[in-house]
Amino acid sequence: MSELSAAELLEKVKPLLNRRVGPYKSFNPVSRTQVWQWCTAMGDNNPLYQQDDKVIAPPTMMQMWTMRDAQGNYPEGSSTDNPYEILSIMEEHGYAGVMAVSYDQTFHRYLEEGDQVHHYSTIVNITDEKSTAVGKGFFVTEIAHFLDQNEECFAEATITYFQYQAPKRPAAPKSSSGPMKINRVAPIENYDNEHYWEGLRQGKLLIQRCTSCGTLRHPPQPMCECCQSTEWDTIESTGKGTVYTFTVMHYPEIPPFDYPNAIVLVDLEEGVRLVSQLENCKPEDIEIGMAVEMEIKEVQEGMSLPIFKPAQ
Amino acid sequence: MPATLSRKAAIVGIGATEFSKDSGRTEMQLACEAVKAALEDAGLKGADIDGMATFSMDNNWENEILRQVGGKELKFFSRTEFGGGAACGPFVHAATAIASGLCDTVVIYRALNERSGLRFGSGQLMDTSPLNPNMINFSHYFPFGFMTPAAWIAFSARRYMHEYGATSEDFGRVAVSMRDFAATNPNAFFYEKPITLEDHQTSRMIADPLRLYDCCQESDGAVAFVVTSAEKAKDLQQTPALIASARQSIVKDTRMMTPFYGETISGIPEFDACAAEVYSMAGLNPDDIDMACLYDHFSPWVLPQLEAFGFCDQGEAKDYVRDGHINRGGKLPVNTHGGQLGEAYIHGMNGIAEAVRQIRGTSVNQVENVNHVLVTAGTGVPTGAAILERG
Amino acid sequence: MSEIKNVYASQISVGDELPVFVLDLTPRVIVSCAIASQDFQDVHHDKAAAEEKGTPDIFMNILSTNGFVGRYLTDWAGPGSRIKNIKFNLGAPNFPGDTMTMTGTVQEINDDNGEHLATVEFKGKNGMGNHVSGSAILQLAKEGE
Repeated sequence: MSELSAAELLEKVKPLLNRRVGPYKSFNPVSRTQVWQWCTAMGDNNPLYQQDDKVIAPPTMMQMWTMRDAQGNYPEGSSTDNPYEILSIMEEHGYAGVMAVSYDQTFHRYLEEGDQVHHYSTIVNITDEKSTAVGKGFFVTEIAHFLDQNEECFAEATITYFQYQAPKRPAAPKSSSGPMKINRVAPIENYDNEHYWEGLRQGKLLIQRCTSCGTLRHPPQPMCECCQSTEWDTIESTGKGTVYTFTVMHYPEIPPFDYPNAIVLVDLEEGVRLVSQLENCKPEDIEIGMAVEMEIKEVQEGMSLPIFKPAQ
Repeated sequence: MPATLSRKAAIVGIGATEFSKDSGRTEMQLACEAVKAALEDAGLKGADIDGMATFSMDNNWENEILRQVGGKELKFFSRTEFGGGAACGPFVHAATAIASGLCDTVVIYRALNERSGLRFGSGQLMDTSPLNPNMINFSHYFPFGFMTPAAWIAFSARRYMHEYGATSEDFGRVAVSMRDFAATNPNAFFYEKPITLEDHQTSRMIADPLRLYDCCQESDGAVAFVVTSAEKAKDLQQTPALIASARQSIVKDTRMMTPFYGETISGIPEFDACAAEVYSMAGLNPDDIDMACLYDHFSPWVLPQLEAFGFCDQGEAKDYVRDGHINRGGKLPVNTHGGQLGEAYIHGMNGIAEAVRQIRGTSVNQVENVNHVLVTAGTGVPTGAAILERG
Repeated sequence: MSEIKNVYASQISVGDELPVFVLDLTPRVIVSCAIASQDFQDVHHDKAAAEEKGTPDIFMNILSTNGFVGRYLTDWAGPGSRIKNIKFNLGAPNFPGDTMTMTGTVQEINDDNGEHLATVEFKGKNGMGNHVSGSAILQLAKEGE
């Protein structure tokens, strides 16, 4: 790995931009067998692709026809140019990781049995070096044209890749356990609030009450702000209230939540406020003052939360 | 009245790194570079420093910076908690320490790789382990996915709209104005990239009602200041920016980014509480303020700041903004550097540096005859404010 | 399995949600789809090779993701529909043992020179976040044709 700066590397590869390379050919014409294989693997039962008297290929097979064979070769008659020379040069200079980040495909015609495919590729853009969660690298944009035996373009795609330098970190642990699962962040429980979380696990929304002056408080805290007593008990909330304010979260999409994610600040009828999610309501129907009610749900193992919905 | 602090200290040096999305160096190096630049700007040497103040969130230790910038000894050092709410605290501490004779010359710094490092806006705001004391507060929000600053601020913005009839366009007008200033500031990330109100209205929704252009950038960079006694400032090369008043503020309903439990949540109770004293300590009133650098992590919260500090009545900031008073050439130009929406997000410290440039008359978007500038720290958190005066 | 029927413009409105589709990501799905899409890269069928390259397991290739997106769209729109455009962003990989839940919403319905076009926003979410999210334009079947 030579010591080129990001800017020098960019200068080195930029002359290779906008060079149309190809053709890259298909080993076989569009066939019933390959279409069937694709559909059975994907579980695609669209009768369009399985007609007795005609074979029509799923448009999303576009890229598949000109893939290299199991030995890594293109069929004879294909260009010997490396369509991804820019990516290969970057790889040689330490940007060894690559991932596709976006696709934009337009389908002009669905292929039929006997069609013979080839494609051409042009790298049209490369950004300055960017930092992302996976590492530093360059976004590289390819435009691919997919043509038939009559040189007619049946599909085209703009594909953006991220060619990156992975930060040095230990290899992922080898595990035979299940897949990675991102959970909700668990609350921290301590002497001041464990009653609250335990109450939820038992299906109750508990509000702290000062046993000296009777004032209710939420979120939990050890001392009453009205009379400074540290003696308290709890009452069980009905979970009924009205929306004091709200937001609908769109971006960033944080796993494991569904988006858009509607968050409400509820005035509980007992007189304290509580933050939660609002379900069973279209974002555009949420308004300040609307009546809501709560259901305690076990959202994941060991975590029960009060989740609101519009009042019946 | 703590009048002993007023006009006893002055900002005599400012320094900064470039503002970027990827500094390519450590926060420590950024901090050292900014401090060195601030010392050079002041015409002082590392050995002249005997105090330091910064943010609790800053990752760079005072001793490390002191050694590298050629310092000898610190008699005073302090840190202020609460994210961007700490932007004015270090000046309160520095001025107090200098006025009391504890030390002579305090360096204030803030360095962060917020874009290339840990991004606050990503939802991975902080360590969520039980060892992080912040998690006691955030435990009531994170389990619902309510974990971005934009979403927290949206709660208040929605109430502000509901109570006073402000609209998303009013927030947009703030953003357009900041981006207009940034467009003529070569140090701004959005230099030569102004936006229109239509751009704002069609920008993507982040946390309704906040759109993309209501949200500050995420940036890498550092800003530093040198503060010394008003007496000593007279002998230095720059026009001093006297600290005419400076004040921190926490009130009963203050929470860390989640002020949802007060009687109302549409305003900024910390500024309502401290504004009168910020003025009286300086012996000034809102009419004396020539321009302001208001904390703008999110555009909606610029509006209640205009109200709290008496530039317009409660609920009328939308009209003040619609009338263009905060714009270029307006009655009270706000954030002439472009703010955190337009220049960079350096936890408000770049705004205070702009206030100093306006006092000196060296801003790229200079306002005429600036004698007094109001600066504020973050909103929705324990915070502070200060008035700088041309010395 | 139920028969795939055509959806007509007169039957749908903006905001309609497509039926949810849950795909169990078995190694068989991942490997058979990789081979059917003629993608022989080892990270899509060889766990040891995938681990060597720093991922915890084999993972679904993009051509298969594309195939499942296409399937999801036409399972709803029917055999008389034609996909005109698909764009998407890729995110969290599909690893074996996880599930991908696909959801979609009708965003626009347009008439283009007599053709009925529906724009659908879709998302495929697994245990780590969105695997794929994007939008597609479908030309819908016409009643009586």
